[in-house]
Amino acid sequence: MGTTESSIVDSARARPGLLLVIFLGGLLLVDLAAKLAGLSLLPIGGAISADRLGSNLWNGVVIGLVIGLAGIGLSMTYSILSFANFSHGDLLSTGAFTGWGVAFLIAGFGDVPVRALLSVRDAGDATAGDIGAHIISTPVAILVGLLAAFAITAAVALALDRAFYKPMRDRDGISILIASIGAALIVRYVIQFVYGSDRRGVTASVEASNLAFDPLGLSVNAHELSIVVAAIGLMLAMHFMLQHTKLGTAMRAMADNKDLALVTGIPAERVVTATWIIGGGLAGASGYLYVLLRGTIQFDFGWLLLLLIFAAVILGGIGSVYGAIAGGLVIGIVFTTSTIWIPSDFNEAAAFAVMITMLLLRPEGLFGGVSTA
Amino acid sequence: MSAEEAGSTDEHAGDERAADEPVGAGDTPSDDDEAPVSAESDAGTDHTLDGDAILRLRDLDAGYGDLQILSDVDLDVADEEFVTIVGPNGAGKSTVMKTVFGLTTHMDGTVEFEGEPIHGLAPEQIIREGIGFVPQNDNVFPGLSVRENLEMGAYILDSVPEDRIEEIYDRFPILRERSDQKAGTLSGGQRQMVAMGRALMLDPDLLLLDEPSAGLAPDLVADMFDRIDRINDSGTAVLMVEQNAKEALRRCDRGYVLVNGENRYTDRGEVLLGDEDVRKDFLGG
Repeated sequence: MGTTESSIVDSARARPGLLLVIFLGGLLLVDLAAKLAGLSLLPIGGAISADRLGSNLWNGVVIGLVIGLAGIGLSMTYSILSFANFSHGDLLSTGAFTGWGVAFLIAGFGDVPVRALLSVRDAGDATAGDIGAHIISTPVAILVGLLAAFAITAAVALALDRAFYKPMRDRDGISILIASIGAALIVRYVIQFVYGSDRRGVTASVEASNLAFDPLGLSVNAHELSIVVAAIGLMLAMHFMLQHTKLGTAMRAMADNKDLALVTGIPAERVVTATWIIGGGLAGASGYLYVLLRGTIQFDFGWLLLLLIFAAVILGGIGSVYGAIAGGLVIGIVFTTSTIWIPSDFNEAAAFAVMITMLLLRPEGLFGGVSTA
Repeated sequence: MSAEEAGSTDEHAGDERAADEPVGAGDTPSDDDEAPVSAESDAGTDHTLDGDAILRLRDLDAGYGDLQILSDVDLDVADEEFVTIVGPNGAGKSTVMKTVFGLTTHMDGTVEFEGEPIHGLAPEQIIREGIGFVPQNDNVFPGLSVRENLEMGAYILDSVPEDRIEEIYDRFPILRERSDQKAGTLSGGQRQMVAMGRALMLDPDLLLLDEPSAGLAPDLVADMFDRIDRINDSGTAVLMVEQNAKEALRRCDRGYVLVNGENRYTDRGEVLLGDEDVRKDFLGG
């Protein structure tokens, strides 16, 4: 039916672009090698040491895992509920504030007023140092905070669904998308009202928190290591759930074909509920981990991060959980390594340039068309 | 789109169906409307069974939203019977099936299954009553393995019925070989087996098949009908809508001819096949 013919034309049309991208990528790699050797080929970017390259890559992996974790929920709601959820970023903020409130409560209970602790230091003059939340000094507090972030955000996501999205279940994706922007505003300004709008430090500094990996010349922060372990653990749990449980199989079935799921007897609303619990919970956990990484918190950080999360999800192939993870890693690494050539003010632009290039060459995204929930 | 799938869309009628088109909705309705049953026709017009029926439709009005498709449809399926619905495009054949399964807007009349009214129930509840449904297109989950597709058919059970999966693998041995393969990578015939297997997972008393031969290569169609015969022989009643009307009437116990959402003729398959009016108007001579 002419499909083979048109695919040849398509690939021929794509080839000059692909060649250009390969050429530019190669040029950057050659330049990177030259920079490492102390030469300067391209007129942009300064010298770079292997150590700095290593730490750039490591930072990229850490931030990429957090973005990927956040993207899982966005991708799930897209594939199962068929809309792009713009309130997803503010679910990250929800998880971060509630989770850190609980972590503070455990870390600083007795020394600092409870109100100051639960409001993440908005209602008191305690400093982050007074509370002393850190994975090395107060590992239990950090861990319980992560669980709380997951649980509370899951509950908030479910409440938003019942209030806004469930009554609109049969409406088209654009209507629900716009409703989700409204939900995002509500969540964001409730957070601002409850927790205040100032940016503040959250984690205490602890001596000897850097673990050095001498052979790689890499210095790894204990918090970064915790984030990597937590993010990979949650991703593996997600993978197991999707591939080896009845609920996960039903989620993939609904992502594949909702009408058929209905006539097969899969209880759609129960699967949707589970989707919000898991997707919302992972968003809350990733927001909490993002604050652990950055060390500061602000009421609108999740909203500002949403664009990068969308970039990761679209890059990976929207609708695919594994694509979201892969897209997050690519976006994270581009985000940090692009500073070798360009000022760090522009690194978000570099991340989007990669996403757009990717979409020009492979419009369905990295994992698009593979269809895995 | 592959050649196999070409016949499956409504706009793109297959060769078998082309013959039906002259009497398609709105084309030459005048004679039929004025004289619903022509004098020389031998085909029956008694649309109900005297004895027990597991499925009983009476005066059924149904459609989609405000759009009414079926009016006063009567239809019976006896236990272990093989019933087929034929008629021109737009006659409401698939709508009957979807209405039984709770997928349309029920307007008036009754649908009884095994003596209980089921109109107004959701598909999830109708499955529990013992009815399985194989939709026409996109009837497997392409991203799930063959086994996972079958498991989803038994979602309402607490645990996966291994013995039932084995029975379905015995019925369709190729599926055992392809157990771990994604259903989206299977051929059209194999996908149809997965779809039937999934609908049979709960061992239904009645199986609804919406155009099972749609999208199949011609040499696979006879094979598919043989499989349906065997499913019926093993005790499952079958209600089938089929574009391949002659073959369907040859295989079935009784057939219903539906026109413009209303009953026209009802009789044994071979009687309908032998009736000049039915042949001329609905089977292409």
